[in-house]
Amino acid sequence: MSAEHTQRLAPFSRGQCIVLGCLAAAPLLERVIPSLQLSSPLRTVIVFAIMALGLNIVVGWTGLLNLGIAAFAAIGAYTFGILTCETYPFQVGFWWGILLAGIVGAFAGWLLGAPTLRLRGDYLAIVTLGFGEIVQDGLKNLEVITKGTQGINPLPAPSFFGTVLTSENNVQWFYLYLAILVVIVWLMRNLEFSRLGRQWFAVREDELAARCMAICPDKTKLKAFAAGAAMAALSGALGASLLSSTGEPSNYDFQISILALCIVIVGGIGSITGVLLGAIVMVGLNVVVLPNIAESLQRNGIGSTSNVFSAPNNYKFLIFGLALVLMMRYRPDGLIQTKKAVRS
Amino acid sequence: MSAATTFTNTASTSANTGATPLLEIKGIVAGYGRVEVLHQISLTVNQGEIVSLIGGNGAGKSTTLMCISGILALRGGEIHFAQQRIDGTRADKLVARGLVQVPEGRRIFPRMTVLENLMMGAYCRNDRAGIAADLEKVYALFDILKLRSTQLGGTLSGGEQQMLAIGRAIMSKPQLLMMDEPSMGIAPLLVTKIFEAVRALNQEGLTILLVEQNARAALRLSHRGYVLETGRVVLADESKRLLVDPRVLESYLGE
Ligand SMILES: Nc1ncnc2c1ncn2[C@@H]1O[C@H](COP(=O)(O)OP(=O)(O)O)[C@@H](O)[C@H]1O
Ligand SMILES: [Mg+2]
Repeated sequence: MSAEHTQRLAPFSRGQCIVLGCLAAAPLLERVIPSLQLSSPLRTVIVFAIMALGLNIVVGWTGLLNLGIAAFAAIGAYTFGILTCETYPFQVGFWWGILLAGIVGAFAGWLLGAPTLRLRGDYLAIVTLGFGEIVQDGLKNLEVITKGTQGINPLPAPSFFGTVLTSENNVQWFYLYLAILVVIVWLMRNLEFSRLGRQWFAVREDELAARCMAICPDKTKLKAFAAGAAMAALSGALGASLLSSTGEPSNYDFQISILALCIVIVGGIGSITGVLLGAIVMVGLNVVVLPNIAESLQRNGIGSTSNVFSAPNNYKFLIFGLALVLMMRYRPDGLIQTKKAVRS
Repeated sequence: MSAATTFTNTASTSANTGATPLLEIKGIVAGYGRVEVLHQISLTVNQGEIVSLIGGNGAGKSTTLMCISGILALRGGEIHFAQQRIDGTRADKLVARGLVQVPEGRRIFPRMTVLENLMMGAYCRNDRAGIAADLEKVYALFDILKLRSTQLGGTLSGGEQQMLAIGRAIMSKPQLLMMDEPSMGIAPLLVTKIFEAVRALNQEGLTILLVEQNARAALRLSHRGYVLETGRVVLADESKRLLVDPRVLESYLGE
């Protein structure tokens, strides 16, 4: 057999090691610069990285545009909420909660995908967009179960070996989420080189050719949709645990879906390392860089919340937009470029 | 060309004796939307044969192959493969049973390497040893593919892509290989090479259904041929007779 198939796959690529390693080292910076807030906001980066890795299966690997990934995060968050919150009868723990959220998410992805995946690209995008809105409205109106705009709370923090984390343990919490991310990256890498991964690429490249290779495109797409939805739901559950609340349904709106899409595109569509980098850049800007700048400005008496122009957070979308335009101009394949054909 | 002539002569006799049908198409009707494209087409491919299906642009050749592959649903008629009825069976199941198509326009995976493309062909198989052997077979048939194995499919020339498409199909371990216009848009020298490879595959026992607009080359290579015109079989005969048939000469051989 060819070298490619006899060689054992390294658990992580070099790029993945570097990015994950840098993330792991980040809390050390906090020791050096005590005023720097890192481990707490980086948990949010991890939550978004997981969502974007899920979206990457659908958009990057299978070539389907999903504009409603946030809906699956919402489904995951609310599943986690209902299963773990003390006002409901189930009250499972954190770990069961995130696991079941992932499973319910996969099921939701399958339910949405089954009737709609035959639609051609742009129609599918519109359907997923609509689904994103419907889920928000549904959650808002199912008040009996979801508590409407109040959100479900309080929700459990992660616990391991008998210790329950609190807001005092941000660093441990960060490392726990990082460990979950590491496991997911390892899973994704194995998936990428698995039979299913090859199936996804084949369908992305050429559906008819894939059919000539004994691949059923419909089933293949459905698996991608379900896998992506499961990851998004997991990220939703992790995010909810972080806030100790599902938040209101409109927290999972189109902006979140677009942010996840931007992460995938900026990072380098199809590349796991790229998506991780994309999450660090896009979400990091949002939750680490801008708040830290704002804080230091305020400390020095330069910025004030009363002046809208002096609050860096208000430039968020301007910076996003600029970043996207610059990316499209100078690195249209993202920060990390997957191999591309010279001629097709 | 003398080799080709002797080949056809010996082949046509073997095709006449003790023929077991591998593929039988009985009066199939198919179309797109409201338009009926195939009107009651029947044809047979026997074990070990090369059969060519020739006809002008839009005659329905590709549509016929899509029906056989299970990608396009029939509106009438039956298809039997290896003594079993297969119409209505899903395309991916048919590939696993040995009914493999090299689609029109090659359709290799441009962003996968040559080796990855070939391995996609073996996607439906689990026999590692068999896959490795077939890979060597493909490399022996088209040595250029071995040289280019780590190159992206999309960077190959048209002729090389066609070789890759055929190689990929061979990796699926076909019993019947259907090729849709393998000579289309390819330099004449490479066409010769590809047709030689087709002959070599057939001599190893592979049954082939060859769709071509290049009627002369296809008929020289095949044992029998069918001529398709606007969705109907208008002529069916041994290839050597079709080559001198006045109707074929006039319409497809430009004489
Ligand atoms: N996907 C399609 N939708 C509608 N009509 C089609 C489609 N594919 C082919 N046709 C029509 O069917 C007829 C036969 O096409 P085809 O089988 O591709 O011919 P050939 O391969 O012999 O050139 C043509 O008239 C063509 O326009
Ligand atoms: Mg055609």
